[in-house]
Amino acid sequence: MTAAIPMIALVGNPNAGKSSLFNALTGARQKIANYPGVTVERKAGHASFADGRPMSLVDLPGSYSLTPASPDEAVTRDVVLGQQAGERRPDALIVVVDAANLDNHLCFALELIALGLPTVVALNMLDLAERDGLTLDPAIVSRELGVPVVPTVAVRKRGLTDLLAAVDGAILSHQTQATAQSAPPPSDVALHQRARAIARAATLSEAPVRRWTQRVDAVLLHPALGFLILLGLMFVMFQGVYAWSEAPIGWIEGGIAALQGAVDAALPDGFLRGLIIEGILGGVGSVIVFLPQILILFLFILLLEASGYMTRAAFLMDGVMAKVGLSGRGFIPLLSSFACAVPGIMATRAIPDAKDRLTTILIAPLMTCSARLPVYTLIIGAFIPNTTVGGSPVGLQGLVLFGLYLSGIVGALVVALVLRRTVAKGNAAGFMMEMPRYQWPRLRDVAIALWQRTWIFLRRAGTIIFVTTIALWLLLSYPKVPTGSAESQVDYSVAGRIASGLEVVVAPIGFNHDIALALIPAMAAREVAVSALATANAIEAGDDEEAMAQSLSERLQGRWSIATALAFLAWFVFAPQCISTIAITKRETNGWKWPLFMVGYLFALAYAAAGITYWTAVAFGLG
Amino acid sequence: MNPKLDSAKLGVAVRISRIDWDQMSHDEGRRLREFGLMEGIEVTPLHRGSLFSRDPLALAIGRMQVIIRARQAAMIEVAPTAP
Ligand SMILES: Nc1nc2c(ncn2[C@@H]2O[C@H](COP(=O)(O)OP(=O)(O)OP(=O)(O)O)[C@@H](O)[C@H]2O)c(=O)[nH]1
Ligand SMILES: [Mg+2]
Repeated sequence: MTAAIPMIALVGNPNAGKSSLFNALTGARQKIANYPGVTVERKAGHASFADGRPMSLVDLPGSYSLTPASPDEAVTRDVVLGQQAGERRPDALIVVVDAANLDNHLCFALELIALGLPTVVALNMLDLAERDGLTLDPAIVSRELGVPVVPTVAVRKRGLTDLLAAVDGAILSHQTQATAQSAPPPSDVALHQRARAIARAATLSEAPVRRWTQRVDAVLLHPALGFLILLGLMFVMFQGVYAWSEAPIGWIEGGIAALQGAVDAALPDGFLRGLIIEGILGGVGSVIVFLPQILILFLFILLLEASGYMTRAAFLMDGVMAKVGLSGRGFIPLLSSFACAVPGIMATRAIPDAKDRLTTILIAPLMTCSARLPVYTLIIGAFIPNTTVGGSPVGLQGLVLFGLYLSGIVGALVVALVLRRTVAKGNAAGFMMEMPRYQWPRLRDVAIALWQRTWIFLRRAGTIIFVTTIALWLLLSYPKVPTGSAESQVDYSVAGRIASGLEVVVAPIGFNHDIALALIPAMAAREVAVSALATANAIEAGDDEEAMAQSLSERLQGRWSIATALAFLAWFVFAPQCISTIAITKRETNGWKWPLFMVGYLFALAYAAAGITYWTAVAFGLG
Repeated sequence: MNPKLDSAKLGVAVRISRIDWDQMSHDEGRRLREFGLMEGIEVTPLHRGSLFSRDPLALAIGRMQVIIRARQAAMIEVAPTAP
């Protein structure tokens, strides 16, 4: 061995707790969730042995064997065999196995041990095994496998010191022994028989499989009821986004208004005051107020992911997904895309079939991501009355929001159907997936994940949204309209003139000058549509006290017809207004072909959807 | 004709007597074996399909639950478990 820092890889079956161990050992915050296929790429971090010597730890995607079935599993094989370009082979392996499922997890462990690298087995989730009435003897597993076995509970940081000590020992003794094993790999059937035999020998006592999981599943996976519950959950999610966010949004709005007042009083009229009040507080602030809604949405998704419900949702949706040529497996990345399409598209790496995966990537942007929430909320708040539907407690605004999400989903399914018959033709996708046990979401993990989201959102607001909004404010503020001119400052400005050019193209689908102005900067990030409207509005209002006192939605009500507002919403259901999504699609499909295709078809759909919405609404007298 | 897993009664354990490996793709067969589905193993079908189709099928194999499609289940012959 060289003097270099030892590199140790965490390998094992999906959902065994590798990332949990990685986080516990390195202090990192990799995504952890209760379904197979969460980690889809190699992640490295730093940890140290008890005496302070450093090590480099690598977290890998879960896999069932060294023969990959999907792109994420290929990464695991490449790293473990030292075939990953630009990376050396790990010096040692920590094989993570689920103590309650040794029958299955020991197969991959046996295959990995046979590689001859220094190896330690982490007998993880020992708490769950005990919960399920299973008593194991780690010493027997160790004797049978011929490597150290250390009991761990990753999420409670139990057994970590012993684990690292065992790794240290394994590396040391390996140096002195220099074992070279080159026996032909046993067949998978033989591996399984061996794994089962070891599991049987190591099981001291065993209670029958717990009934409550099955009772819960009898309801949640019920052919009809289960489906209704899934729909109900999504419905509650969107009602919750409205109902529970009202108060905190009010506080943030109040805070921003107070700041604006303070700046107004403190600074003389001029460039700086305009920039801060109109550009920064008015523009960026108009996006930040949506933080509570985004967090509520994330909370729901996190709870679904952590509890183990995600795979149940995949099970229920498989029938629908199969009809359009996809599989239930694809439902998980699509549901993640409700948060953001970028991680959603990355998560498709766990889909085995290439055409199935490509189609899922191409429709992921149709899932309403959280960046669309501010746009939807602003327009819904301005044009849809805040009433309940027919005396029920169901809010009309939440219902419209639900409808917009549903349009995205239905649109995605229809597009998938077409793609699978044309450009992404192929065999019917299969669907084979392990279903994890239920777990109570861990409060700490959920809190950390929510905090991470808050941070990401604020950073986004402080960078891309901030920069685009300031650039737009500058382009809207100059050149200054000559005093006495009948034209407004916005129309006279550089941005206003560009928007007038675009307006010609989008006027047929009911878009006005405001919208034309918001569309281009919103390519950087969808939320910028809101800050752009807010900034333009603030500049237009200028020093007009009365106009300044009006909220953005009040101003929009005065300027847009309902038909225009609805068309704008329809546009945002489809339009690919997000550079990051285009970039990740290029990366995941290795080229420009598919991202360009995606942008093209989405813009075409957006234009058509907005047009049809507008013309229909006008026909009903809402123009 | 022996009964197949795709029509086996839910909640009742059965033993896999034969799997028609030739009918499925190599990858499909391997993943089934990786899940532990092979001749001689006991499985319990637990849930089948949703409102819209008979697909998929959830099975218990030991302490693990897996989901497969009915098409694959139709290639798996089962027999009653020995009492
Ligand atoms: N009770 C208990 N739960 C655990 C333990 N380790 C991990 N978990 C939970 O198991 C689930 C999966 O954990 P991950 O760390 O994401 O598993 P992974 O092996 O990285 O999974 P993939 O990335 O999908 O391969 C999560 O819900 C964790 O909270 C443990 O020791 N005890
Ligand atoms: Mg992981």
